[in-house]
Amino acid sequence: MEGVPIRAARRGDIPSLLLLWEQMLKENAAADPRLEPHPRAREHMAAQFQAWLSDAQRIIVVAEEGGRLVIGYAAGAIVPGNGWQAPTTLGEITDCYVARPRRRQGIARRLVGRVIDQLFEKGVDTCRLQVGVHNEGSRAFWASMGWKPHEVVYERPV
Amino acid sequence: MTGERPPTIRAARRGDVPALVDLRIQHLGEIAKQATHVRLLPDARQRTEQSLPVWLGQEGRIVLVAEAPAPEGEEGVLVGYAMGLVSTWPPVFKNQKVGEILECYVGVKYRAQGTGRGLVAKLTEILVGRGVEVLRSVVPEGLEGASGRMAAAGYQPLYLVMQRELDEF
Repeated sequence: MEGVPIRAARRGDIPSLLLLWEQMLKENAAADPRLEPHPRAREHMAAQFQAWLSDAQRIIVVAEEGGRLVIGYAAGAIVPGNGWQAPTTLGEITDCYVARPRRRQGIARRLVGRVIDQLFEKGVDTCRLQVGVHNEGSRAFWASMGWKPHEVVYERPV
Repeated sequence: MTGERPPTIRAARRGDVPALVDLRIQHLGEIAKQATHVRLLPDARQRTEQSLPVWLGQEGRIVLVAEAPAPEGEEGVLVGYAMGLVSTWPPVFKNQKVGEILECYVGVKYRAQGTGRGLVAKLTEILVGRGVEVLRSVVPEGLEGASGRMAAAGYQPLYLVMQRELDEF
């Protein structure tokens, strides 16, 4: 099966990327109220997507249905390590989201695979990502692809 | 140590750097020993020697030390340290002003006397005083007793950081 085509994101995709990103944030906040979005999140992210598209250290790929409808995307970046623990440079999967009605078709796996391939081509050999502890579906998804727990980010209200 | 005065907790000074480097390298070494997926870089000491003087001069960074009392006329010995940071995150999530507990370490001989708790309590007090909205701390997966210590201090897991070696793909 060919599946939905995956391609590099373009400037014209930004409105679709924003819609998908907002959905992702809503789902995260529904699973964990501590992840409630900032009132200016959309405005901030619109500028971020613009910047990411012209940043050689960033990758954004989209899944496009019927040649016009973006139904999912994934993004990655090359980032420095913390300076005392290996590696000195690593890849980061910053975003991965597929519209709910289009899930369970392997689209997210293919999106991530494309980002990983590009990070690897850019010389990265270790990749990390952050997932909400209460997002069971997402944790299972990443674990099924061989991702292993590395660190836990704890939070305490003031 | 039993029966002696407890270590004094104070802000780190330039003169503390050599002892702080030693403590930090011990700390990082212990982490790498317990959490085997964490690998210390060979030049971690050199990087720490370069970073610490810079960190001590940074506005948003707090470095505290625990100093064991010394006899009259002698220098106290640093037995532990804690480091925190006030960081302002981009407006993605509601809480932007985050107080990060970056590191806390007490030398093996000086543990179980409340020094670690004292360092964290003082660091927390300073971070809260600077107006942070939440406190965060990142702990390597598999660190012995970490989840219990974090829960006892009122922390709950927020994110899991996952890792994958790409040549396994």
